[in-house]
Parts: sequence; structure tokens; C-alpha cells
Amino acid sequence: MANERTTQSGIPVKPLYAPADLDGFDYSQRLNDPGAYPFTRGARPVRPGHGAWIERELSGEGDPARSNAQFKYLLSKGQTGLDVIGDAPTVACLDPDHPFAVHAIGTQGVSICCLDDYRELYRDLPLDRVTLSHSLPAAFTVAALHTVARERGYAPAALRGSVIQAPYYAEDCSYATFMPFRLRVRMTADTIAFCSTEMPKFHSFIEDTYFFSETGLDSVEEMALGFIEIRGLVRELLRRGLPIDQFAPRIAILVTCRMDVFEEIAKIRATRRLFARMMREEFGATDPRSWAVNITAHTSGLSLTAQQPVNNVVRGAIQTVALACAGVQAIEVSTFDEAFRTPSPEAHVVGLRTQQIVALESNVTQVADPLGGSYYVEALTDELERRIWSMVQDIEARGDAAALSDSGFFRAIFQNAMERHARGIADGTTPKVGVNVHQVAEEEDTLLRAVAEGKIEPFRERIDWVRAYRARRDQEAVRASLDALVACAQDADANLMPPILAATEAGATLGEMSAVLRRAYGMTTDPAGALASAA
Amino acid sequence: MAAVRVLIGMLGMDQHEVGALAVARLLRDAGMEVIYAGRFNLPASLVKAAVEEAAHVIGISCHSWEYLYYVDELLELLRAQDLNIPVVVGGSVVTADDARKLVAKGVAAALGPTVTREDIVATIRRLASV
Repeated sequence: MANERTTQSGIPVKPLYAPADLDGFDYSQRLNDPGAYPFTRGARPVRPGHGAWIERELSGEGDPARSNAQFKYLLSKGQTGLDVIGDAPTVACLDPDHPFAVHAIGTQGVSICCLDDYRELYRDLPLDRVTLSHSLPAAFTVAALHTVARERGYAPAALRGSVIQAPYYAEDCSYATFMPFRLRVRMTADTIAFCSTEMPKFHSFIEDTYFFSETGLDSVEEMALGFIEIRGLVRELLRRGLPIDQFAPRIAILVTCRMDVFEEIAKIRATRRLFARMMREEFGATDPRSWAVNITAHTSGLSLTAQQPVNNVVRGAIQTVALACAGVQAIEVSTFDEAFRTPSPEAHVVGLRTQQIVALESNVTQVADPLGGSYYVEALTDELERRIWSMVQDIEARGDAAALSDSGFFRAIFQNAMERHARGIADGTTPKVGVNVHQVAEEEDTLLRAVAEGKIEPFRERIDWVRAYRARRDQEAVRASLDALVACAQDADANLMPPILAATEAGATLGEMSAVLRRAYGMTTDPAGALASAA
Repeated sequence: MAAVRVLIGMLGMDQHEVGALAVARLLRDAGMEVIYAGRFNLPASLVKAAVEEAAHVIGISCHSWEYLYYVDELLELLRAQDLNIPVVVGGSVVTADDARKLVAKGVAAALGPTVTREDIVATIRRLASV
């Protein structure tokens, strides 16, 4: 069956689709207009300016001051939102002076670990107007944002922006925090519950299917695992007594966008429909905003190549067109130097210009859901919906997520995807121009190479900086705030956010707060010990 | 002839495991024994594991720049303990220029993104037999 045509996720496709493929298709039931249940065609109604999305590029590099300068650079180029990621130690909830951090400080994101850092990161930003998307440890970031906002005279209730939540799969794919499953879930639910009353405009529940899809998951696996996590967290919040309509309107999904244009479009449309049905029919949401999920996307970094980096510009443009056709609320284009580094200033502008050209010159956004009614896209949307839901049911039948996580069930899915991806490239079944087809000799492969290969030195000065910061705090206040955090952690029904806020204000660091929480959950105080024994 | 034994691991906070797992599978498929040390290693823990597991080759997979700094420490530890275990570094972030510098330092082979599967297997086999 070597010639069988399939989508990237293996769904068989025919060379032509026709009216028979949509036999019995009911417009109002399967599609309806944008902004109307089940939201297949878009989360929002058609109105002036429809189709516009928040244009942003991944930033975060070095220390908070350097990252703030990146923000301003991007805003000066016309960017309409901000997106910041922490460096590897920060995302792992470790301070820059942790022994494992030394060569990774600020090289793949911002090194940020205390209130002074966040003051610097947010310097001069209009926090009630600019939307800042955070790929940073959620609870600690929300606490710091809340505090800085109050210091600067912004009501927390006016704050916009978002933070990603990744409690289920972080440990298994590149975002290890060295925290146990139930602590990760608790911190996530605590953050969402806190924001639902304190920061109601802030999206504290971004289901990030992007990062774990970068292992090589296909579209069906991506959304099935995403729904598994959303459903688990929704059930946890309902168990605590939060009304569904209090938090569901601020759930959004951050998806990846691979190279299979129509499958990615169909995936997004199917996701909106699945989400709406699930919220209304299963969880009983009655506020229409709880049914309509915002989708934001990053173009797939995994689809990009180290060979002929300029080809990645083309890939980003194709993916951006796909996302514009699918109708999303925000886009970030993974840049041409992705295989080597977080974006260089040059790559930043190319990524942003890609978005601006699609938005302003291509006219693809003039008509909402332009592929609605396409025989192929509708058939594919239906098939993806079926497959995603079937995988969700299959996984839920296997038991609860904590047990599946602990037993390595999820890790096996990611591991299989990694191997499958590598095999597909190696044996040529996944064509990759410049890699397994149409290669060029190394000496010819020079265009943009110098830019793509530019390196950043680790910001090791952060080690002394954080030690000096710790030394100048009110030590008694810090100790007391950490003790209060531990006491709260030992009461499973308490929300961790108030003591995290208090500790943040007292000057406790990300690493210190994480360490006491790990200890309260029976783990070692010293994550280095955890790391060393894992090695 | 006994199977070639290869220790595959990553250093520091480098967590992107796609390459490490793919190479581990590739080498196993080629009949080698792979001891998969995974993420979160430091040079000392890798050397210790290599000795305990009687590895013929140490393979470092990288998707961040941390290896640039850890490699010196790793080679130094091997020299200090008089261990003659070849070190191979591989990953998409390894540029041609990096590869030349690594080999000059004493890394046995540095494999960038253009390396073929056949080359990876042949390189490990050759180094293991020396």
C-alpha cells in the first residue's frame, strides 16, 4: 500500500471529494455560523475586524532586562502581543545558581526567579492593554504579575494575557519540574481558581498541546491528549465546587501547526466543535462563552530543519496561511533558526513579517472560515473529530490520569512518537526538503546559516546576582512566608496561591518556593539530589 | 564478538529527547546494546555510568549549547581516570564549526544534522573496535 494517500496523521484520503462525501450534512448541526454553537467555523461572530489575530513571536533571552528590550524591539516592529518563555532552569522551577543551571542560564529563554526579576520583565508595559503570553511556571508567574500590577496601580481584574498549564505531560517531554503529579495538578487548579475571581480577564488555563506535540505526535494524538488534560482539570475544578461557567470562558488551547495544511485546519475546526459539545452537553456549561474555545497556535518547530534554514521561512508562511484559514486568536511563527536556537533579532522580524504579509496582503482573512463547506475539509473535520474523541474515550477507559502518568503510559506515547518521527525522516516516508530529498552539499548551504548558528553565552552573572538578592532580603520574613507555604501545602483543601503571593512579596525565589513544595509532597528538598539520582 | 555497548545520555538541563531516543533505537536495531541514561546527567554521572556499564562508547545527544561547556569537563574526567572511552557528540545544534572544535578538543566524533543513519552506526562501530 505504498501509494496509499494519507494525511500526516494517517487518515486515508481520496484524490477527489464530491457531494456524496457530505451526504446528509446538516449545516446548523455540524457547522453553524461563526460565533454560534457548535463553533466549528469560529469562536467569534463575524464583525468588523474579524479574522485578525494577535501577532507575536517567541521571546525571552538572558536576564529580564534583556527580555524586556526584546519586547520593545518586537512591539516597535508592529507586533500586537507578547510571548515569553523561561530558560530551561526557570521552566524546571530551579534558580539560576542551581548546579544544573550553570550552562543553560538565559540561553533558551529568560532567566527569571523573583519579584525584582518580574518588575524588570514588565518594565514600561501597559499590563491592562498588551497581552503577554507566559510560558513560565504558572502559579509563580501569576503571583508575581499580580504583585507587580498592584505596585504599578493596575487592578488585577484588568490584567490581560495568559499562562500555559502543563501539569499532565511536562515531566515526560522537555518541561520537567521535578514535582509529583498531584502537586502539579493542584498548583494548576489553584492558579485557575485564583484567577477566576482575582484576574477574570486573564487566561490562566491555556492548554498547551504545542510543546508536547513537538515530540512528533500527530494531530489526533495531540488533541486527544489535550482533551484528556482539559477534562481532568475541569473535573478537578468542579470537584472543588467551582461553577463551570466561572472558569470555562478563560480556557484556551495553544496548538501546533504542522505542514499538512488541510489536516491542521480540520483539526482546529474539529477541536472547536468537540469542545463546545463537551462543555455544553457533558459539563453543563450554560454561558455561551464557556462553549466557544479560543485557539492560539505556534507553527511547528519540529517541521523546521537545520539544513537550508531559509526553507523554514517558506514553511512558516504556509503554516500561517493555514492558521489564518482555520481562524485562530493568536499566532507565533517558529523562526528559521529554530533548529539551533530561540529566535535571533533577524529571525524575529522575518517571523513577524510573515504574519503581517499574510494578514495584510493575502486577503485570506476577508471571509470567515473560507473552507467551510469544502467537501474535503468537512469530511476531514468529521473524521478528525471521530478519531480524537475515540482516542479520548480509549485513554479514559484505562484509568485515571495520575496512575497512567506514573505507570509511564503517556511517556510511551511520546517516546513512540519521537521514534516514529525520526524513522519517517530517515526512511523517506516523511519527505523533508533539504533533509531526505533535494539536499545540497554542505558548502552550498550558506544562506542565512551564519545568522541561524549565532550563539548566546550563558548569563552566568545571574548566579552571583541571585545570591546577592537573597542576601539583601528580610530573612525572617522570607523564612516565615516559606513556612506558611508549607503549612498550606499540607492542607489539601487550601489554595496555594495566597501563600505563594505572600512569599513572592517577601522576596522568596522560584527555586525556594518550589523546593519547599517538593518537600511538602515527600520529595527531596534538593532538586539536585533528585536529578542526580535520576541520572 | 560481544555486542558493542553504547551509553547514550544528555547533559544538564537539555531536555529535548527526540534525537537521543532515535539514535538509541537506531543503534539497538543495528545490534548494539544501548544503555540509555536519558536526561539530566552531569559529566561525572555519565563517566560513572560508563564505567559501571562497561560502555565502549559514550554518546551525548544535544539540543542546547550546554554540551559546549560540559564536554571539556567530561574529557578531563576521562583523562584523569585513565579511561579510554571515546566520546561522540551529536545533535541538530552541532554546526560544522562546532564539530571541528570538538574533534580538536579530543571528542572522537561530532555528528551534526546532516549525518546519515549509516554514518552514525559505522562511526560507533569503528570507535568501539579501536
